[in-house]
Amino acid sequence: MFRPLHLTLIEIKRYLADRGDLATSIALPIALFALMYGVFGGGAAFNSDVHVADLDGGPAAQRFLAAADAVDGLTVVSSTEAELDRALDRTAILSGYVVPAGFSADLEAGRPTALVVRQRGSGGRDAEIVASILQGVLAEVAAEYELRSAARALTSGAVPDAEVARVAGALAEQARATPLVSVEVDAVSGADEADFLDRLLPGVVVMFLLFSVMLSAQSLLEERRTSVLERLMTTRLSPGQLFLGKFLAGWSRGALQAFVLLALAFAALGFGGPAAFAQCLALAVVTAAAVSALGLTIASVARSQEQATWGAVFVTLAMSLFGGSFFPLPESGAFELLSRLTLNRYAVDALEGVLSGATTLGDHGYEVAVLAGVAVAGFAVARMLFRTSEGAR
Amino acid sequence: MQDFLTASGLSKRFDGVQAVDDVSFSLRKQEIFGLLGPNGAGKTTTIRMLSTVLRPDEGDVLIGGRSVTREADAVRRLIGVCPQELALYPELSATDNLVFFGRMSGLGGKEAKERAHELLDRVGLESRAKDAVAKFSGGMKRRVNIAIALMNSPALLFLDEPTVGIDPQSRNHIFDTVLSLRDSGMTVLYTTHYMEEADRLCDNIGVMDHGNIIAMGAPAELKAQIGDPSTTTLEEVFLSLTGRSLRD
Repeated sequence: MFRPLHLTLIEIKRYLADRGDLATSIALPIALFALMYGVFGGGAAFNSDVHVADLDGGPAAQRFLAAADAVDGLTVVSSTEAELDRALDRTAILSGYVVPAGFSADLEAGRPTALVVRQRGSGGRDAEIVASILQGVLAEVAAEYELRSAARALTSGAVPDAEVARVAGALAEQARATPLVSVEVDAVSGADEADFLDRLLPGVVVMFLLFSVMLSAQSLLEERRTSVLERLMTTRLSPGQLFLGKFLAGWSRGALQAFVLLALAFAALGFGGPAAFAQCLALAVVTAAAVSALGLTIASVARSQEQATWGAVFVTLAMSLFGGSFFPLPESGAFELLSRLTLNRYAVDALEGVLSGATTLGDHGYEVAVLAGVAVAGFAVARMLFRTSEGAR
Repeated sequence: MQDFLTASGLSKRFDGVQAVDDVSFSLRKQEIFGLLGPNGAGKTTTIRMLSTVLRPDEGDVLIGGRSVTREADAVRRLIGVCPQELALYPELSATDNLVFFGRMSGLGGKEAKERAHELLDRVGLESRAKDAVAKFSGGMKRRVNIAIALMNSPALLFLDEPTVGIDPQSRNHIFDTVLSLRDSGMTVLYTTHYMEEADRLCDNIGVMDHGNIIAMGAPAELKAQIGDPSTTTLEEVFLSLTGRSLRD
């Protein structure tokens, strides 16, 4: 009765005995988390250089360039027209802007004019965003000149041009500072809305659960190769007890790894309190059970360690990619359907909700049921397929 | 002396290949029986059936009066198996390995620890008991491999090529251990490719080829079949029986 537990304990002892593996299984997820957070996190705002050749040099062009440079995330880089073309030719940039000669004079006179965009192909997504932002800046600059024209028409030249320009400039500045109409963001879940960190942490935890526990399936095949399993089958241990011990060992290892990662994350990043930690840990433990069963299934199907390795890598990457480990999933379509076949979708969604404070464990009964179901079904399937050695029980 | 192991009509097929074909033999209690044969002769498959890992397609084996097919758990209480491979956990200490396999064989915690220390002393590894097996030499690992098989104090010990790849000192230590085990009442089934080992250790020898036992008897009896037992080697007998063609 206690033999599966002895087997589990010896597996945990082996995991803890190899300090290098232990440190790697903890350090690698932390390194990946830090790397991804550094690259993607906190950088949600758009940033781009705007390469401009100003052939006009007049006051309207100057005003436009200053206003563009003042936009958060945009940096105006002045070039000559030749430099702009060369940069486009060698694909150093994908788009650039030319302020044509006469731009200021035309605006001053109320005549239509245009900012010219030179780009390779579509210019890419960044170019589309920059063009959209510049369109808004141009509209503001143009509004000031339209105001001047209107003032001149109303006063029939009774007010000096300089005074019209001063008043129009002041009104334009006021409109920019306190616009009559603006867009307000009303977050559905208020302050607790999940942010990038709330998704990144579960993504990393679940991905490394998959990696570590599924790669431990390799050790099962190594034990088959070195006849350890066969030797165990000559002891009082039954095949069912052996399999249960291996399942519990994988489960425990995964739970232990998740505990350390979550504890470090909660301590260092200041997520919710002990209740949120306990709920996240509970979700991770259920996930580890499902992953352990999946790992055993791979070990049961694979005929060699190499097959087990590649099988585990494929499953881990596919599940991380299609399960929305790092980016929110679309709400419909093939991608969304595919995600339902992954453990990550259920585990990451639930962990993300709890981490952000938007939900509690009680709200994720469906996800927990799916993960537990996978654990039970995977265990049963793997047990049916697994053999301790060629032709053996 | 009464037979302790009796194999009757053992047969096993894998994917259409007859690995073992109607094999029958017996071992007396307190005997060292050598099972010899070229690669692919069916020795390991036979041992796997004798040790309850594989179920025979036909035939049965009685060990201490218990059937391996019908009373496997009872048979496992009587046997210890030392596979050809180093079937142990290299990350763990020698003591941890022995205690673990002892617990799996039904020993209690205290009993397993005491037995582990006793056996490590017997195989000359008491001073390295707490070291990870991965740090051991090949010969030391082989001795741990054998000690594990002795944890449950078996009445019948299976040793499958226990001296592969080790130095003469370790090999001689293993010989002495096997002989002392026999002297203490244990029955041993020993396979090896080293004919001088079989000649030195075994009371009786069975030569297998193509899944059959083609000759059986004491080393001197087998030698007498082809020449003068005092000058004929067991290797000459072996080659005479199994031929000189290469095996896969």
